[in-house]
Amino acid sequence: MAVQNHARDAQNLLRSRLCNPSFVFKALSGSPDSNYSKLKFILSSSVTEACNNSLLLLGPRGSGKTAVLELVLNDLLEEYPDMISVIRLNGLLHNDDNCAFKEISRQLCVEHHLLFSKMASFDDNSQFLIAMLRECGLAHKTIVFVLEEFDLFAQGKQRLLYSLLDAMQSITSQAAVIGISCRLDADQLLEKRVRSRFSHRKLLFLPPSTEIIERLLQHILLLPMDSTLPNDYATQFNTKLESVLADERFKEILKNYLSSSSTINHLLRFLFVAVSSIDVKSGYPSLDNFKTALSSFRRQPKQECIKDCSILELYILACIRRLESKEQKSYNFNSVMKEYKSIHDQFQTSDDYARNVCLRAFERLLQRDLICFSDNRGQGQSVEFRPVKCLISHFELQEGIKAYRSCPVSCFLHYGFCYSGISLLAGVS
Amino acid sequence: MPSLAVSRSVEESLTPQKRRLRSNSTAAPETPISAPTKRKSPRRCLESSPSSHPTVSTRNDSIGPVSNSSKSLAEELSEDFSKKLNWNPSDASQVSAVKEALHVSTSPPTIVCREEEQRRVFDFCKACVEKEQSGSLYVCGCPGTGKSLSMEKVSNQLIKWARDGGFEPPEVLSINCTALTSSSQIFGKIVDNGYVKVKTSGTIAPLQHLQNVYSQKQQSSSSKMLLIIVDELDYLITKDRAVLHDLFMLTTLPFSRCILIGIANAIDLADRFLPKLQSLNCKPLVVTYRAYSKDQILRILQERLMVLPHVVFHPQALELCARKVAAASGDMRKALSVCRSAVEVLEAEVRDSTNNMDSDTQGNSVVKIDHMAAALSKAFRTPVIDTIQSLPQHQQIILCSAVKFFRGGKKDTIVGELNKSYVETCKSRMIPPVGISEFLSMCRVLNDQARQSRGDDKLKRVTLTVDEADINFALQGVRFFRNCLQ
Repeated sequence: MAVQNHARDAQNLLRSRLCNPSFVFKALSGSPDSNYSKLKFILSSSVTEACNNSLLLLGPRGSGKTAVLELVLNDLLEEYPDMISVIRLNGLLHNDDNCAFKEISRQLCVEHHLLFSKMASFDDNSQFLIAMLRECGLAHKTIVFVLEEFDLFAQGKQRLLYSLLDAMQSITSQAAVIGISCRLDADQLLEKRVRSRFSHRKLLFLPPSTEIIERLLQHILLLPMDSTLPNDYATQFNTKLESVLADERFKEILKNYLSSSSTINHLLRFLFVAVSSIDVKSGYPSLDNFKTALSSFRRQPKQECIKDCSILELYILACIRRLESKEQKSYNFNSVMKEYKSIHDQFQTSDDYARNVCLRAFERLLQRDLICFSDNRGQGQSVEFRPVKCLISHFELQEGIKAYRSCPVSCFLHYGFCYSGISLLAGVS
Repeated sequence: MPSLAVSRSVEESLTPQKRRLRSNSTAAPETPISAPTKRKSPRRCLESSPSSHPTVSTRNDSIGPVSNSSKSLAEELSEDFSKKLNWNPSDASQVSAVKEALHVSTSPPTIVCREEEQRRVFDFCKACVEKEQSGSLYVCGCPGTGKSLSMEKVSNQLIKWARDGGFEPPEVLSINCTALTSSSQIFGKIVDNGYVKVKTSGTIAPLQHLQNVYSQKQQSSSSKMLLIIVDELDYLITKDRAVLHDLFMLTTLPFSRCILIGIANAIDLADRFLPKLQSLNCKPLVVTYRAYSKDQILRILQERLMVLPHVVFHPQALELCARKVAAASGDMRKALSVCRSAVEVLEAEVRDSTNNMDSDTQGNSVVKIDHMAAALSKAFRTPVIDTIQSLPQHQQIILCSAVKFFRGGKKDTIVGELNKSYVETCKSRMIPPVGISEFLSMCRVLNDQARQSRGDDKLKRVTLTVDEADINFALQGVRFFRNCLQ
């Protein structure tokens, strides 16, 4: 009983760690070569030496750009209190120049306890920004502009980017502009004037190497000795976990999982599912947790749907495939029925059902979203006449039929028939 | 020229406050180098007249008899190299002084390599002020060639000259057109700043008001000339080009008293957008700022580094930087930024070596060619190859199958076809392919990284945005992909 409670507490602790990005990325901030230290060096030099800097953080989604930036900003705010103010803008929200300037003024007002008026015009806001930059420059306060989704700011006339980067060229301001984007060619999107004012510093957030992943796993999953959990439980948990991590099969599973996407966010999701599937009764992690996590990520929902279909529904799907292979782009229930009849006339199978039964099967396929109507127009028409399209690819259908529990060979062969073109024996079922 | 020395001192008094504050702050230690006069170059000191600024004498005399202006630049530089003190890169104040000297926002005491263009603009403005006539001028050139900087200097020069020569110094108004919400606001700005006397209330449009004022003889004959500097002129281009026309036409009105200087990037803006002015015989004078050549960039960099008492850069490193930037774009900002990042590369190296207790590299390091080469490659290279090599395996397979698919000359395809090609590639190499939903999410990731552009539905089109050669080069190290791509 006690073990179960401990296991639950351990699960909660690990899950809360996995959901906390600053905890996760603190492990990666140690080495001097990491993006964390480079970013910290640039920002601290612009705070202490009062030189203006601009840089871009680039990397695929979920690789930790915002998390590392937040870590660096928190550390700098602790080191130099009252010397930094941070203005955050997002390309999805503040795409329009007017909106962006208003947001900058509002955040500056909040930061410095001034009154913000919603009626201020674009002109007023830009004058306010220039005046604030000058004041903060004289007072040695650095303003850090964080622009998320930087590539969205580079649409249109790029006025906001021009004003910000131009302000960095003047001697009176003390500011840093940091752009975060998932597009790796974000600086090619800038206009030539804006690009000339941008100092071409880029920090790439590439997917982590295997040593870094191992270090990360140990940092996150090993229980700390000084937590509320009793020492002997924690040590046993850790030894079991380390034996799992050192297992060759675990390394295979991890490599298999990371071969499709290797960002840190992806890895954290995998670990979360694995931690959640720890068996509370036994109380300790095992290799099976990771195996279930992998299989839950490799599910094929449409193929599983095929497993639940009836044989008639499989026939209808096979007929639809045959129609597609005959280059018939649009088809409805009537054309499918014609094809179905032609198969039965040709091969005399025993799966000949009446039309209304087939219509019921067709409607069930519609409900399960394996096929759908291809336009929204004919609402008044009956189901038989509206054109449909198939939502499942032929690979998935083929795999699904192969895995079907008791598929009649005729259905399988009819399906294969449209691709191989061999004549087949009639009446086999 | 005495006016240059005087203008420099005025400029010093305009912005001394930041310098003083900075040297008084507790963050940076006080050294003789961070005195307010650090921006003066020793060559200037020797050439200036006896009435120069008294703070010149407090300058550190460790420079010695370096600058005899009859010697050539290369000889001077090599002399400087041998006579100057060595730079200690681990001293933070010296590093910050270097970075400050190289920062884009630090405006140099004089602007070298632009004397010819500045002289032309200055002569034009002088003529306008002397004859009390209006005129228009168009300055064009690539970004980073010193246009806005020169115009500031010229306007200061003009004011000094007018004051000395007994003329009425003109009022200067600088407008940057990116700050305008609509292009016709520019006239409002000209009127609002009070330079044009507003006699009536604001019921008529600013443009009309200006046109009225300039069409009638002024009562007071001693009203000031107005020098309007309009930056980023192409923001005023509208579909019917009315605003641009009206602005330049203001200078053609009979009693107009404004000198208009427009700055933009396009060389033929005057021809393309202001054809009417040609027929009125008042086409603006065009001054082109060509992109900097290698020698010019080198000279400007050396001029900036003259203010420092130490040797920071190996002369060949500077030459490499100048050559590369001149070949690429001739943009001065880029050259300065590359030099700064070279200093940072050196700083990082020194820090690593002090961590490793390596004592023989200390105290003797300047920025050498390899530092500069590293900084140049960081600035000029695109991260395409690196990112392709760092992609997970299945995404690389998708890129390979896309390359093979598009080799036949097709430009784009649907996601379903790409999936088929991907599965075939996987099957031929005995790798289990991933399912369709994972395939779609991988395509979405590649789309976000701008490697492929696609839509969301299975039937949307997909095209490859990365060059095939890049993919070939990036993946050639792995035998699997080499076989795939054949």
